[in-house]
Amino acid sequence: MFADIINMVFKMELKEKLQILADSAKYDASCSSSGNSYTSKKGLGSTSYSGICHSFASDGRCISLLKILMTNCCIFDCKYCINRRSNNIKRAIFTPEEICAITLNFYRRNYIEGLFLSSGIIKNPDYTMELIIETISLLRYKYKFNGYIHAKAIPGASVALLNKLGKLVTRLSANIELPTSTSLKLLAPDKNSEQVTKIMGYIKEHQSKYFAPAGESTQLIVGASNESDYVLLHKSSSMYEKYALKRVFYSAYIPVNQDKLLPSLKIPPLKRENRLYQADWLLRYYNFKVDDLLSEEYPNFNLLIDPKADYALRHLEEFPKEINTASYYDLLKVPGIGVTSAKRIIKSRKYFKITFNDLKKMGIVLKRAKYFITCNSKYCLAPSLFKKDFIESNLILENKTPTNSNFKQLSIFHE
Amino acid sequence: MNRVYLYSDTFLNLLSLVIFLNAQNITPSNIKPENYTATLFEETINLKITPSKNLLPKFYQKAPSIFKIMYYVYLSSHPNKELIIYYFYLNFLKYHNKVINMRNISWVNDALKIAKYVSHEAHKLKGFIRFTELEKHVLYAQMEPTNNIITIVSAHFKKRLPNEYWLIHDTKRNIISVYDQKDFYLLDATNLQLNLKTTSHTYEDLWCTFYDTIGIKERKNNRCRLNFMPKKYWKNIIEMRNNHAQSNK
Repeated sequence: MFADIINMVFKMELKEKLQILADSAKYDASCSSSGNSYTSKKGLGSTSYSGICHSFASDGRCISLLKILMTNCCIFDCKYCINRRSNNIKRAIFTPEEICAITLNFYRRNYIEGLFLSSGIIKNPDYTMELIIETISLLRYKYKFNGYIHAKAIPGASVALLNKLGKLVTRLSANIELPTSTSLKLLAPDKNSEQVTKIMGYIKEHQSKYFAPAGESTQLIVGASNESDYVLLHKSSSMYEKYALKRVFYSAYIPVNQDKLLPSLKIPPLKRENRLYQADWLLRYYNFKVDDLLSEEYPNFNLLIDPKADYALRHLEEFPKEINTASYYDLLKVPGIGVTSAKRIIKSRKYFKITFNDLKKMGIVLKRAKYFITCNSKYCLAPSLFKKDFIESNLILENKTPTNSNFKQLSIFHE
Repeated sequence: MNRVYLYSDTFLNLLSLVIFLNAQNITPSNIKPENYTATLFEETINLKITPSKNLLPKFYQKAPSIFKIMYYVYLSSHPNKELIIYYFYLNFLKYHNKVINMRNISWVNDALKIAKYVSHEAHKLKGFIRFTELEKHVLYAQMEPTNNIITIVSAHFKKRLPNEYWLIHDTKRNIISVYDQKDFYLLDATNLQLNLKTTSHTYEDLWCTFYDTIGIKERKNNRCRLNFMPKKYWKNIIEMRNNHAQSNK
């Protein structure tokens, strides 16, 4: 077999391989292990609906799955990708048995929740997909592994293989990476957006208890091409509708390659990524629409204020909301009040009139909410302070932490 | 004189005492485990109630969510947990299952908060526990949780690793949970001689390599990591052990 021959010719320690193939996989944002609950007396492992984080990397991201590539050899030449064929980097390939051994031994020691297997495209899409299927079949059938497995579908592989893979894994996904086909053509000339959407459509159609039970997800790169937040968010919102995705992941573009087609960023646009995630949550759980948050005239998020507070400040006429009477969706519009808090308020106010003190007791964070609510018609500050400028400056000041602020606190003393 | 009622330290005994006190209309100034030493103004009373056999299953059937909250508060390390359970129970009798919405009553609010804290810690430990392999493929893990969550995590690993032999050791309380491929048993480890001979460290080594590789250095964010993975757990998390040693120097 191909992998065996490569391994025979290029002798490499397992440790070095793991290093290379984890390093190449780390830019994929997804690591969630949620969405499915399964236990069995036979074999090894279970999955838990909420997912479990096992560790946190130095960048603060959760480590839940063993995130590796089958191989980082790739016939494609996507401009933004570290594994593109024109890059001169060390290449490696795992054998299916090697992946099984690492996964099972990590799992038994409770290092991981399962495996996240993706791959560069070696030889051709079908061959790559067959390698992935072979590995996961071994895990499921030979080693009776019941843990979480998330696999990437390879664009361009045959439908029969996609079907086979879907029946083996917990979650199946394909990365769209770039929001418009123009930027895809420019930066990933070998990738075809139709192939990716075809996969996503197929998964949506077949998704069931026996086919990718935890559903599908995808990833968008933020900042590699010049689309606005408005375009990105519209893209994800339409994908949520069309493909019933569990998640869209946003990955701040990290310049790993030099290319005249790519922006020359020094620092990855992390704040922008953060704002997109916040907005994504607003779309999925808070009943917001993209056009509530952004528009053609206002295409990008304010980096100083989170999207919900920004919305509230631009729609101050809707506020303040009365805690004791506002509807569930109105409560959700208040900055600082989330799903848990809103539900708690709705349940509690049936039994007693809620005061500001009660809110504190109930564990509802008033830091931002206090500017936008009344309790029994009382506003917690002087009513004359209910003004956009005042609230806005306070919200921005509260967000700044002394350690990473770029501005100096004004002092009345001379230094 | 303040009357402190004592119970021998199990949830069943505590619950029986609470129910008994309420039935007799006794308001305790405090409730404490048997080994409690009274202060100058306190008088201890040990009623030694024999609990009815199926109290726990009966109670659980009647109000599973209330049972869970009281049990989790019992597992916590809160200094006042018994009294909180007592008053939470009184409020339960008054408001029935609706009590979980009465957060304006501080006893209720405290009970709900503590129960949440305990379940939260148990969830974290389900991820942070690290097994090492001893001889004959036995898995062994040490932990030092703030709350006594060994039963919760053991139930989790019973489902997850049903065909392994494993031990989970709470080194803070010196309790050890032993699983024999059928069920787990809790033992007091104070007088146990543990033979902890580990086998090869290949996979521990590989795991540390993986951990060091997977972080993106352009995104380094130590504060965020500490938020999710507090330092108090690092000692028993193998990939953090080196960092732990460094920060102690």
